Amino acid sequence: MNRRFGCALVAIGIVAALSACDSGRDPLVIYSGRDEALIGPLLEQFAEANDIDIDVRYGETPDLALLIAEEGDNTPADVFLSQSPGAVGFLANEGLLGELSAEELSAVDARFESDEGRWIGLSARQRVLVYNEELVDEADLPGSVLDLTDEAYGGDVALAPTNGSFQDFVTAMRQIEGEDVTAQWLSDMEANGSPTYADNSSIVDAVARGEVPMGLVNHYYNFRKLEEDPDAPSRNYVFPGGDVGSLLIASTGSIVAGTDKQDEATAFIDYLLSDDAQQFYSDETFEYPLTEGIEPPADLPPLESLETPPIDLNDLGSLQETASLIEESGLL
Amino acid sequence: MTEPSVQKAASQGTGRERRRFTGLAIFVVGVACLFVAPFLHLAVRSLEQAGTFVAEITSPQALGSLGRSITLAAAVSVAAAAIGVTAAWLVTRTNVPGRSVWRALLPIPLVIPSYIGAFVMIAAFAQGGALQSLLSTFGVDQVSGFRGFFGSFVVLTLFTYPYVYLPVQARFRQLPSSLEESARLLGSRPLGTFWTIALPQARGSIVAGGLLVFLYTVSDFGVVQLMGYDTLTRVIFSTRLIDSLTSIRLSLMLGILAIAIVVVERGVARGSLIRDPKREPRPLQYPLGRWRPAAAISLTGIVGLALITPVAVCIWWAFRGVVRGDTPVAEFWTSLADLARPALNTSVAAVAAALTAVVLVAPVAYFAVRRPGRFGATASAIVVGGFALPGLSIALSLVYFTLSGPSWMSGIYQTLPLLVLAYVIHFGAQAMNVAAVAVGSVPARVEDAARTLGVSATQRLWRVELPLMLPGLLAGAGLVMMSAMKELPATLLLAPIGFETLSVRIWTGTQSALFADASLACLVLILTSGVLTWLLVIRRSDTLI
Repeated sequence: MNRRFGCALVAIGIVAALSACDSGRDPLVIYSGRDEALIGPLLEQFAEANDIDIDVRYGETPDLALLIAEEGDNTPADVFLSQSPGAVGFLANEGLLGELSAEELSAVDARFESDEGRWIGLSARQRVLVYNEELVDEADLPGSVLDLTDEAYGGDVALAPTNGSFQDFVTAMRQIEGEDVTAQWLSDMEANGSPTYADNSSIVDAVARGEVPMGLVNHYYNFRKLEEDPDAPSRNYVFPGGDVGSLLIASTGSIVAGTDKQDEATAFIDYLLSDDAQQFYSDETFEYPLTEGIEPPADLPPLESLETPPIDLNDLGSLQETASLIEESGLL
Repeated sequence: MTEPSVQKAASQGTGRERRRFTGLAIFVVGVACLFVAPFLHLAVRSLEQAGTFVAEITSPQALGSLGRSITLAAAVSVAAAAIGVTAAWLVTRTNVPGRSVWRALLPIPLVIPSYIGAFVMIAAFAQGGALQSLLSTFGVDQVSGFRGFFGSFVVLTLFTYPYVYLPVQARFRQLPSSLEESARLLGSRPLGTFWTIALPQARGSIVAGGLLVFLYTVSDFGVVQLMGYDTLTRVIFSTRLIDSLTSIRLSLMLGILAIAIVVVERGVARGSLIRDPKREPRPLQYPLGRWRPAAAISLTGIVGLALITPVAVCIWWAFRGVVRGDTPVAEFWTSLADLARPALNTSVAAVAAALTAVVLVAPVAYFAVRRPGRFGATASAIVVGGFALPGLSIALSLVYFTLSGPSWMSGIYQTLPLLVLAYVIHFGAQAMNVAAVAVGSVPARVEDAARTLGVSATQRLWRVELPLMLPGLLAGAGLVMMSAMKELPATLLLAPIGFETLSVRIWTGTQSALFADASLACLVLILTSGVLTWLLVIRRSDTLI
C-alpha cells in the first residue's frame, strides 16, 4: 500500500512540475466561450504565423464572464471570445472591456458590433427550424416563426427556454414585434404544448430520432449532426423574408480592459477578421463570415438578403426582462 | 499488572487524551474555515443588495422549484438506498455467483457524468431510441414518459446508488457475524436475519450514503436540465449571468437546505452505531439456494442498466464512424492516444483530492464522533453542506479568496493545488460521512484494552484505531475520487490553463455535438475510474478483511 501511495505522490509531483514548467513564459491569455472545435484551429494558426504564445481557457460563455468579473483587475485574461453579445454586454457594463480601434470596427457591419466599441462580431449563426423530413413535409412549414402557435403545430415544436441563443431570439422578438406580441407568442407556444429541451444539441437529436417533429435551434447543430450520422432525417428550414425567426446571432471578440498585451490582443482580433479566418468560419463551422467579400456556406442565403432590423442584444437589463417574460409564460 | 498501576495508566491516558483533543480541535477549526469559505462568499454577495433577500427566496417560484428539488431528492434517496443495500448485502453476505466481478463493477456508475449519462439514457430509452426500435418489432410505437420527474428519478437513482452501496458494503464486511450466526442457529431465515440484524447494524452507513444521494440530487444540474424537470438548480443555472443576484441567493438557499438536512440526519443516525464489531476471519455467508439465479439476475439488472447500457451507447457512438468507414481507423487510434494525457491529469488530480480530503476530513469526523457536542456537529455540518453548492459557486469563491489574499495565495491561482482544493471542498462531504461511520465502528473495548496496556494515544491511533477505520476511510476516498474525476464547472474555471481532464474532453465533445469524441472520452473515464477504484479501494479493502 505504501508503495502504491508513493507512486501516486510521485505522479502528482510529475504532473505538478509539468504544469509549472509552462508558466515560465508570458503568453497571450484567451478566455473562450466558443467551443474548441469551432475555434481551436484558428488559434493555432495565429500563434504559429505570428510567433506569439497563446494560452486558452475554454468554458461556457456565462461562466467565463462571471470568472472575469470575479477576477476583476487581477484577471489573467487578455481576450474574451463570447458565443453571444449578451455575456459581453454584462462585462462591458462592469467596465471590464477595453475599446477596440475604429479600424477594426469598420471591418464589420454596425449591427454586429457594440455602440461603444467594446466588442466586435466575428461570425454569425442563424436561428432556424430543424424538422424531421420523415414526419413533416417542408411545404407545410409556416412562413413566420410567429405562426408556430397555430393548432396545426400543437405539441410539435421543441424549444430550449434556458438556452442563451433562444433567449437572444426572444429579446430580438421583443424589440421587433413588441412586448405584447412576444409575451403572447411565448404563452401561446406554451399553451400549444411545445415540449422543452435542455439545449440545441438535444433538440436536434430528438428531432432526428423522431421524438418531436421540429424545433427552434441554431443552424449549424444539424450540419454537425449530419456529419456524424449522414442518415439522420433532420433538415434545417430558414424562415423567409427576414423573419425574426431567422435571426442572426454574432459570436464576438473583445479585449479585456487593462491588458498588458494590447498589441498582441489587437493582432489577434485582426487575425480573426482576416480573410483566412473568415473563410474558415464559412468552410469549417458553417457560419456566416461577417467581413465583406467572403461567401457564406453554400446552403445558406446571402447575408445581405437577411434584412432583420438592428437588434440590441447588448443590454443586460433587457436580457433580464426576456428571462422574466419566458418565466411568466410557464415554458421553463 | 497490579490494580493501581492500571488505574494510573488509564488516568495518564486521559491527560494525554485531553491534550490530543485540544490539538485536534484547532485542526478542526482550520478545516471548518476552509469549508465555510463558499458560504461566506455567497452570503456577502447575497447581502450586497439587502431588503429583497427574504422576499426573493420565499417567492412562489423559488419555493416551487425548491419543493421539486426536495421531492426528487427524497425519491431518489429512497430508491438508491434500496438498490445500494440490496447489492451490498448480496455481494458481502451471500454466495451469489460472480461476487468479485460485481464488486468491481457495482461502484463504477458513480463516475458517469450526469449530462452525458442522461444523454445516453435518453438515446437508449426515449422515443425513437434503441429500446423503442427494439419494441417496435413487437408493435410498440410509443415509449413516453422518459422525461421530467420520472426520467430524472430513474437516471439519478442508477448513477447515485453507489453512494449507498460503497459504505454499506464496507460496513457489512466489518460487522460481526456472531449476531447473525446466532439468529440463524435460532432458526431465522436469511431474509429475516437481514431485516432484523444486518439492516439495523448498517443503519448509520445507509443514512450517511442516502444523505449523499440526497445532496447530490439537489445539486445536480445535468440530469434535470436534459430531462426538463424544473428544480432549483435549473433556476440557479439559467439566471447565473442575467440575474446573478437571484442565482447567488438561491445557491445560498441550497447550501442552507443542505445544512438543515445534515442536522436532521444527525438526529436519525444517532444511536445507530453498534460499537462492538470484531474482525471476522471469514465473514458469514448465506447459501442462497434456489434464490441464487434470482439474485444474480437482479445484480445483472442493476449493472446492466446503470453501467452496461451507457457503455454500450457510448461504444456505439464512438465506433459508429469507424464501422461505417467514415473515420479512418488510424484517426481513431490518434484520438484515443490524445486521451492519454487527460486520463493521467484526471487520475492525478482526483487521487490527490481523495487523499487530501480524507486527511483533512477524517479528523473532523473523529472529533465529532468522539467528542459529541455542538462544536463537532457544526464543523461536520459545514463540511457536508458544501456538497450541495453548485460547483460554479465553489470555484468563484476560491477565485475571490485567492486573488484578494496575500501574494503566496494568489500564487496558487489556477494551479493544480487550487483545483485539488476545490475538489476537496466540494466533495469532502463524501469522505466525511463515511469516515464518521468508520470512526464510530471502532469498538470502545479495543481502545480501552490498548489504553490499559499502556499504549500511547498516538500509537493507539496509528496501530489500533486507524487500521480498523481504514476500510471506511478508503470507501470515502473512493467516493471523493470518482466525483472529482467527473467534476466539470470548477475544473473549467480553476484548472491550470491547458490542463485537460477527461470531463473537459467529454464536455468539449458534447458542446460541439461531436458525440463520437465525447463517447470515447467517457469510455476512457469509466475505464480509468474502474481501474483506480479497483486498485486503490476494492483490492485494498479486500486485503484488510
